[in-house]
Amino acid sequence: MARDPKYDILFEPIQIGPKTLKNRFYQVPHCIGAGSEKPGMQAHHRGMKAEGGWGACCTEYCSIHPESDDTSRVSARIWDDGDVRNLAAMTDRLHQFGALAGIELWYGGPHAPCMESRATPRGPSQIASDFELNIFPRYMDKDDIEVVQQMYVDAAIRAREAGFDIVYVYGAHAYLPFQFLSPFYNRRTDEYGGSFENRARFWRESLYKVREAVGDDCAIASRFAVDHLLGPISIQVGEDGVRFVEYCDDLVDLWDLTVGDIAEWGQNAGPSRFFEENHEKPFTGQVKAGNHTNKPVVGVGRVTNPDTMVAIIKSGQFDIIGAARPSISDPFLPKKIEEGRPEDIRECIGCNQCISRWEIGGPPMVCTQNATAGEEYRRGWHPEKFHPAANREKSVLVIGAGPAGMECAMVLGKRQMSAVHLVEAEKEIGGCVNWISQLGHSDGKENLFRGSARGLGEWKRIVNYRQIQLDKLKNVEVHIGSRLSTEQVLEYGAEIVIVATGCHFATDGMNAATHAPIPGADASLDWQLTPDQVVSEAKRVGQRVVVLENEAYFMGVSVAQKLAGEGHDVTLLTQAAEIANYMDYTLEAPMLHRDLDRLGVHIHTYTMVDKIEPGLVHAYDVWNPAHQEQFEVDTVVLCTARISDDQLYRELKADKDRLESEGIEGLYVIGDASAPRMIVDSIFDGHRLAREIDSPHPEMPLPFIRERRLWGEVSNDDYVQQLRNTADVALA
Amino acid sequence: MKIVVPVKQVAALDEEFELLDDGSGVDPDFLEWDLNEWDTFSMEAALQIRENADGDGHEVVVVTVGDEEAEEGLLSCLAKGADRALRIWDESLQGADVLAVAKVLAAAVERESPDLVLCGVQSSDAVYGATGVALAGYLDLPHVAVVKGLDYDAAQATATVERELEGGLVEVLRVEAPALLTIQTGINEPRYATLRAIKQAREKPLQVSDLADLGLEEDAVGQAAGSRAVALKPPEPGEGAEMLNGSPAAVAARIVEIVQERMSG
Ligand SMILES: Cc1cc2nc3c(=O)[nH]c(=O)nc-3n(C[C@H](O)[C@H](O)[C@H](O)COP(=O)(O)O)c2cc1C
Ligand code: SF4
Repeated sequence: MARDPKYDILFEPIQIGPKTLKNRFYQVPHCIGAGSEKPGMQAHHRGMKAEGGWGACCTEYCSIHPESDDTSRVSARIWDDGDVRNLAAMTDRLHQFGALAGIELWYGGPHAPCMESRATPRGPSQIASDFELNIFPRYMDKDDIEVVQQMYVDAAIRAREAGFDIVYVYGAHAYLPFQFLSPFYNRRTDEYGGSFENRARFWRESLYKVREAVGDDCAIASRFAVDHLLGPISIQVGEDGVRFVEYCDDLVDLWDLTVGDIAEWGQNAGPSRFFEENHEKPFTGQVKAGNHTNKPVVGVGRVTNPDTMVAIIKSGQFDIIGAARPSISDPFLPKKIEEGRPEDIRECIGCNQCISRWEIGGPPMVCTQNATAGEEYRRGWHPEKFHPAANREKSVLVIGAGPAGMECAMVLGKRQMSAVHLVEAEKEIGGCVNWISQLGHSDGKENLFRGSARGLGEWKRIVNYRQIQLDKLKNVEVHIGSRLSTEQVLEYGAEIVIVATGCHFATDGMNAATHAPIPGADASLDWQLTPDQVVSEAKRVGQRVVVLENEAYFMGVSVAQKLAGEGHDVTLLTQAAEIANYMDYTLEAPMLHRDLDRLGVHIHTYTMVDKIEPGLVHAYDVWNPAHQEQFEVDTVVLCTARISDDQLYRELKADKDRLESEGIEGLYVIGDASAPRMIVDSIFDGHRLAREIDSPHPEMPLPFIRERRLWGEVSNDDYVQQLRNTADVALA
Repeated sequence: MKIVVPVKQVAALDEEFELLDDGSGVDPDFLEWDLNEWDTFSMEAALQIRENADGDGHEVVVVTVGDEEAEEGLLSCLAKGADRALRIWDESLQGADVLAVAKVLAAAVERESPDLVLCGVQSSDAVYGATGVALAGYLDLPHVAVVKGLDYDAAQATATVERELEGGLVEVLRVEAPALLTIQTGINEPRYATLRAIKQAREKPLQVSDLADLGLEEDAVGQAAGSRAVALKPPEPGEGAEMLNGSPAAVAARIVEIVQERMSG
């Protein structure tokens, strides 16, 4: 089907310097855990988006020199010819699909701890990083400034050689060029500090030198946070923000605008829990609105809706739609608009699981919505193409339509299994997402810093997308309101049975800290609740509430937000150093803490519950159990262990003879029913099984390609020499 | 006891579709075929009556007038539990109207002499709501239309049925079998067939008959026809509709504006 003409504007080409962007879809720089050391992953992840219609795709931040080394977080690197060779795999792949390739040249200053290179980062002033622990830069004298600027130039020349079309001087997220520009970092008194022109000098000179070096062949871009969001102590959009754009407008071919810094970059990569689509508009939108540039502008804001994109272009907010997460969640977003099937877009839910893996440092990127993200090369998964299964004549019964079951049934359907029945006990599909998506609100008055406690409503997109796909699959039947017994499953007539029945919260306080139930914990009592009971409002909640947060992710704090928002006095206890640890990784923590503080929620860390009595919770300090504390309560919420609902699976598995006589050849368990986990991993589990349903042992994941150097492949001496050669070129 | 359930394989439109060049119908490329939703409820009602009846030998027979496309619908009824199926087709039935179809069904049902005939109130594609009633006419059976509640007493051979009237009033009627009822959606929760039942449905009797088999002549059916479709056309676009596009916030803002305009105007 042809695309709706109202979207034509999104497919207009845009000139950026010497290069033509074929449409307005632009994947802004984002990490994936590949860098230059996993060239296959790098090439195929970006290449997938090029195939899906994105006009340009960029690398993640790309270090220009060992002095800017972010280990264990994975950046790209363009330090030597070896990196040129590896990154060229990416540019080749993008060019095959007619997309431009961008590279984000990065020098981190004190934000890069140099744990691999052991180098000393340089910075405008000797102030420790507000992002890293205790990393001080070496003060840059004028020689240092020239040396670092030359690093940009050398890196740009290598980037051109690697085939990049767009070369960035990256100054957003408070990396080095911004550190010069902002008085928050820059306390210099020479011509690189003080006045606006002095503070902007380093960046301007760097842009100038890079442009001189490669500007005839490559488009020059700069990523700039128009507002640091720190108020008058740093860059504000209405002051130095727009001033800087005007000041350097002659030196760039493209502005890539954002807000904030790396220390709280959830203000840029805003989680849906707090930020709505196009949330940076009040800041980045000012640049074009105030006519501060003559160059094309790309901006972001988790824009997944084609109508919003059109509105952004038509209103003159941006010229180009930038996307990190929407492109991860759906690499084929532009193609789907072009082919007139926007309903097939797999919209990002704004959970920031993708980001969590970068924050953790090391693991490859994952995506809740798109289980194939990061798996394009190593597992050969394509988000839109599915091989017909070798055993597609088999029929499959999937029991439980939560995240794992929905995904598994959908992928099996797309793999053309003869018949797939997805049977759900509840009245609607979605499983835990249906109640989890109701969380994350507090009192409705939340006006936090920027954004508000909007809740997890957008997580419902997990269900919506799959519902639409399941409806379209002729070989898949979805049956709701039907709880199958073991006997019914045996007699169902499926050759393959997949159990995806989820999990439940422990009612006795069983937990990861003590590996034992908590004396007195009993959620069958009317004053003790599991989190799902809080959401379903199954029991009356008293005024004084203690929430035992033993889960380390969103559940305990979400319950606390809800109850505090309703006017209860809430105390959060956790045995850990921090509540909701994982929300640091998803960048939700800062806004969450603002909300909890506003709501007056009391937080006690390193605190574990000893026993629970009517009206009283006995707790202790985990470092000194003799240090006891008591909390008077009316209600206790036990956000402790989760336990697989796997009885059905166990009963089926135990009856080998029956399985055989009923013709059940394969029996598998996935998702929380296998082991409780995060939604992102449940969806992956369901996807993985369906992708490998025709492998010799579907329950065992097939090996994946590990991008590593195999010792002795070429003679080790040759290999060492090869490495030396590429590095020598860089040093020469 | 025997219950006959006449069903129809209906066409559903894709979101976007095209009409045939001569305007007489929808281009079949854009159609998806499925069992008429109402018939899933009449089927379920029949199965429940059979299951609740004492003793053996009760039978649910599903019949349809349709080409091979319609076989899938019969198979789904067999999979859910119908005992046997009958498909009636003849090229001359292409484009047949309600009365013609009812006449053909009447010939088939008559041979079965059922205790009950359970039809759907209407079909979702043609929306005449007349086939069941016309069939009752041809068979000279008592009938109740738009049934929302049904209780069949096999021993007494009477059905107690409920209909919903204006203001939510419920009318309770008693009819003696044999009788014909047209069943409304929502009367029950239609079951689904397991994979095994779907496979086994292929082994159940499915008979295909033409008009001659039923002792009918083409002409007789043709005479029954009262109308023939001459054109299908999309509605003329009305005035005053405004499509609201954009983000949820933008749409909401526009709605507020419109409401305010109307309230002040
Ligand atoms: C997984 C991930 C990694 C990112 N890494 C980078 C990066 O290396 N350099 C950068 O400038 N921005 C990075 N970003 C920020 C994005 O470029 C973008 O500004 C932000 O995610 C908001 O855009 P979105 O709403 O379209 O995701 C990253 C974002 C994500 C989701
Ligand atoms: S992991 Fe979550 S936030 Fe990241 S792209 Fe996927 S859906 Fe969006």
